[in-house]
Amino acid sequence: MKNPFSMISNWISARGNSARVLGMNERNLHYIYVHNQRKHFRLADHKLVTKDILRKAGVPVPETYKVYGSFYELASLENDLSEYRDFVIKPAQGSGGDGIIVVAGRHGQDWTGVSGKRYSVFDFKKHISDIIFGVYSFDLNDQAVIEQRVVQNSWMSALSPLGLADIRVILCMEEPVMSMTRIPTKASNGKANLHQGAIGVGIDIESGLTVHAIHGDNPVSVHPDTGEALLGLEIPHWDKVIGASRAIARAVPLKYLGVDIALTEDGVVVLEINVRPGLQIQNANMRGLRAALLHGGGPDA
Amino acid sequence: MKSHFNRHRIFLALFALTLILPFGIMAYKLIALDYAIAGLMPAVSYKVELSMQVHGHGDDVSISTYLPKSDSRQMITEEENSSGPFTFALDAGIENRQAAWNAEAVSGEHNIRYAFSVQADHLKFVIPPDLPIPAQADPGMAEYLKEEDGIQVSDPVIEATINTVLPDRNVPLLAALTGIHGFLQNRVENRNFSGYTDAVTALRLGEASCNGKSRAMVAMLRKLQVPARLVGGLILEQGSKRVGHQWAEAFINGHWVPFDALNNHFAELPSNYLTLYYGDLSLFKHTTNINFKYFFKITKRLVPKREAQEALGSSVLNIFNIYSVFERIGVSQNLVKIMLMIPIGALVTVVFRNVIGLETFGTFLPALIAAAARETGLMWGIIGFVLVIVVSALARKMLDWMHLLHSPKMAIMLTMVVVFMLTITVTGVRFGLFELAHVTLFPIAILAITAERFAIMETEQGIGKAAKITAATVVVIAACYTVMDSLFLQSMFLAFPELLLVVIALNMWLGKWIGIRLMEFIRFRKLIFRQGA
Repeated sequence: MKNPFSMISNWISARGNSARVLGMNERNLHYIYVHNQRKHFRLADHKLVTKDILRKAGVPVPETYKVYGSFYELASLENDLSEYRDFVIKPAQGSGGDGIIVVAGRHGQDWTGVSGKRYSVFDFKKHISDIIFGVYSFDLNDQAVIEQRVVQNSWMSALSPLGLADIRVILCMEEPVMSMTRIPTKASNGKANLHQGAIGVGIDIESGLTVHAIHGDNPVSVHPDTGEALLGLEIPHWDKVIGASRAIARAVPLKYLGVDIALTEDGVVVLEINVRPGLQIQNANMRGLRAALLHGGGPDA
Repeated sequence: MKSHFNRHRIFLALFALTLILPFGIMAYKLIALDYAIAGLMPAVSYKVELSMQVHGHGDDVSISTYLPKSDSRQMITEEENSSGPFTFALDAGIENRQAAWNAEAVSGEHNIRYAFSVQADHLKFVIPPDLPIPAQADPGMAEYLKEEDGIQVSDPVIEATINTVLPDRNVPLLAALTGIHGFLQNRVENRNFSGYTDAVTALRLGEASCNGKSRAMVAMLRKLQVPARLVGGLILEQGSKRVGHQWAEAFINGHWVPFDALNNHFAELPSNYLTLYYGDLSLFKHTTNINFKYFFKITKRLVPKREAQEALGSSVLNIFNIYSVFERIGVSQNLVKIMLMIPIGALVTVVFRNVIGLETFGTFLPALIAAAARETGLMWGIIGFVLVIVVSALARKMLDWMHLLHSPKMAIMLTMVVVFMLTITVTGVRFGLFELAHVTLFPIAILAITAERFAIMETEQGIGKAAKITAATVVVIAACYTVMDSLFLQSMFLAFPELLLVVIALNMWLGKWIGIRLMEFIRFRKLIFRQGA
């Protein structure tokens, strides 16, 4: 039998700790619904609209090479692509990473994907037709975007050799409150998705130092595939990450949002913005989001 | 800030109103209108399923039996015929209601099923002790005094028995009935066999089963010029049975009074006696060219009392008057009851999602499946649900390969769900799994959408995640079923539909509840349950 006093003190500490954690109910009711109007959700969901706003605000985004919205435009596809060696084809309103092809190089008349798969012009035409038809977006029609392929800098490539890592920053009322980087693994199949097995590494907002890391449910200190150390690292261009995040928050009418940023040799590039950023970031940081929000300019501050 | 404050106050006022108003109406009904809450407590009802198995050899087949009629003692509802190739015909006579199933050139095995629900009262008569034996027979009652093949009124054995039982025939009717009943009860031994025994044989052997004793009773009563008849029926007990039951009725003072000399019910009939037909008839008739088997499956259930619904009379607040309007246009009270329970199921789902934190397919799906599962039973409901979802999701994976647009693809999914559900039904009927056959009552469109979501989830997040959410959905369906199946809640909401406002109030409260979900305590356990801070 445990000491009753320690049981009580454990209970008090659990109560205190749970008051620091942000749950789904409170996130939805007090942060997402209060700060983000439904009509503005579209500008986060439609990648072309997002990029347009961000570019105007001076935030770096992947360059758009070409947009296809109807079939007759596809006649010139081969000609349009001739000058690019690598690029990404994606639906403007896709979800969950569906319908994205990342092209890494040319091979004679064909192109090769990052996984080594070969694509002919005909394959691209068919894929773009599917996107326009709305196969990847529940809408009736969509646009296919061909844009610059983001290549991460050598520092991040060393840490994340299995795919493009991103840095997620959650902001409330234009103030960054919590951050992490998501590193793809073998288990996540090259995707930066925590639920699919990517590593989440919490980053201290003030210093840009990595403080804690999780893989699945467990804390880790090294990359499970490469053995690289994950903690105590200083993220390069951290000032640019925070600067871009703040610029985005100022540019969009969303007051509670998550931004996904990639590190490049020159600095940063913004990949996506998210109106419902997930809560797993708390486990990655080993810190409650509620405490961070109240401390850093939340609604009750 | 001020407008926010005002909105909060209006919300609180609305919340208080939705919570207090229904209890106010309830209190008014109970106190001012003298609504008896005891009348709301459930009554016993039996679901009777008659299964007949016919094996034909290519000839025309005809089968007939008697189906029960509603009268002042027993109420028959929810009748349902399922007879495959057999045409079903009902002949509603004055005394008996005869059903016939006919089919031409029947070969192989076929199942015919007829189901109905029974709610019956216990009946007891008090016979005035000085009422005399009628001196002369009522001419209109000739049919109930005549000699029949098995009821040999004029046989000397009957006369002799009466002389033994009633040496002095100049006694009141009650004494005569007591004597005859007592004799059959004590002096004629009960035999538990299902064959045919006529009145004379029963008395000669001094032993008989129900039909022999009843024929002897009827014969003796007729001999005494008391109109009497044989009644064929069923004793309702949970389980399966092949044998019917017979008892006697005597026409006394304008009433048909029941006597069961086998089970010693004198001038009374228990509430689990179901009357099927009157007269010395056999329950089943069929063409001789077939193998014929039958059994009754009887399930005991609890249902709201009939009387409770009339308690409030013509008051505007008597919601049962509205239900009877529904019934006149073909909406049964059973359907109303299920509709009233769906919001409760949705509330249960909300608790599971927002307080416990289980992810389910849709907010309404568990409640709707639970409502539909009333007909299939919980187990078959869940089996049917999982089958439909998994098979449709497999079909959707094949559709994926075609790269179709969303709407046409969903229309194909819907078609496939319909086809698959009909297949389950036909298979269920074929193998006698009638509960499973009821999956056709499932909400088809919602199942199609769920199958689509299952397939998307399986593609995007893996089969493990999809299986996990399916399992959580099944758990919530079971919880919804249990709560929605509560007879107490059903009776309460039928009588006090204003309680739906309380459901709204609870949802308003849950809609503002920002506590950490139970599953989030697990998800963030390392953050919450660490030592120190």
